Amino acid sequence: MLKRPSLLRKSNKKNIELNLVPMLDALITMISFLLFTMSFLTLVAVESQAPVASKSINDVVMKEKPLQLTLTLRSNEVEIWSPFERITAKKIPALEPGKPDLTQVHDALVKIKQQFPKETKIVFAPEGGVNYDILVSVMDTSRGLEPTDPPIALKNETTGVDEVVKNLFSEIVFGNLLGDS
Amino acid sequence: MGFRGSIRNRRARRRIDSSFELQLTSMMDVLVIILVFLLKSYSTSQNNFSSVKGIQIPYSKSELNPPDSLHLVITPEAMTFESERILDFNTTADLNTSKEEVTYAFKKGDLDERGFRIMPLFDALVKAKDKSELLRAKSQARDDKGAPLPFDGILAIQADKRISYDTLRKVMYTAGAAGYRVFRLLAMKREVM
Repeated sequence: MLKRPSLLRKSNKKNIELNLVPMLDALITMISFLLFTMSFLTLVAVESQAPVASKSINDVVMKEKPLQLTLTLRSNEVEIWSPFERITAKKIPALEPGKPDLTQVHDALVKIKQQFPKETKIVFAPEGGVNYDILVSVMDTSRGLEPTDPPIALKNETTGVDEVVKNLFSEIVFGNLLGDS
Repeated sequence: MGFRGSIRNRRARRRIDSSFELQLTSMMDVLVIILVFLLKSYSTSQNNFSSVKGIQIPYSKSELNPPDSLHLVITPEAMTFESERILDFNTTADLNTSKEEVTYAFKKGDLDERGFRIMPLFDALVKAKDKSELLRAKSQARDDKGAPLPFDGILAIQADKRISYDTLRKVMYTAGAAGYRVFRLLAMKREVM
């Protein structure tokens, strides 16, 4: 008589096959959607206000002369000065003609910001021949603080707490739209 | 013989059909990796600004994502305002390379008598401002006093990086004279490491 086959050999487990086709369809649809709606060109803006003659400022009797920080950009140097002589004028020679020393310019502006932490405006007066590319890089240098810069604190007038300043001189105004002066 | 051969072929084909299964798991892996990469680097834009052929845009560390506004493009050949070509620059032929050199020189009659204001640009800007003010007057959106919302006066300038400040100054002066108060100089985002 033949021995009865073992029941252990019989398994109830079936080979389950996951149907990946609908998932594949969904993935391809999502990838197509992302590729079509993605923006590959990331444009940013550097903002500048048009200079406006304000009558209200003239009516106010100023306790002290304003800083009116001015940056004159020439092909061979950058001059940082104040028309009211609140700071000592500084001339920073260019690394080569048409290529300003951005590190030196930034360091000089950080020192001024430490002196006048409330000041946010800077007047740009570039020469006519300055390239737009150079102009944008100097604007970048004048606007933002680097992580390596020393922290500059400014007392919040409402809370009375010292807060770290995040920007250097973020409001840029072109002061010589009517010609070199 | 031929009949037998055809039966054998059909059997063989059936055998292949029944055993052949496409391995989709590896393809799934690849697609999931692509999807994760796309989701990580996905960025959308709030504006309709696009690059123009032949223009080299400068790089900036600015983080300001410019919202949609009136758009002026200054290429080495021409000036385009809201996708409408408003003037062409003078170009001079370079004898060495037989290419046209970019000078951004304005043609006679494009500037006013004093040489500050760019007349075709001024006309286009004033026209756009009037149109915007008319639309705001008809719009139901009002300020606290019930008056139409004022013209925002924002002009996005997308210029070639080789342009000189002298040309840009004339553009900004013209825009200022036309009632535009804020200039957004567009640049490519420089990735900070």
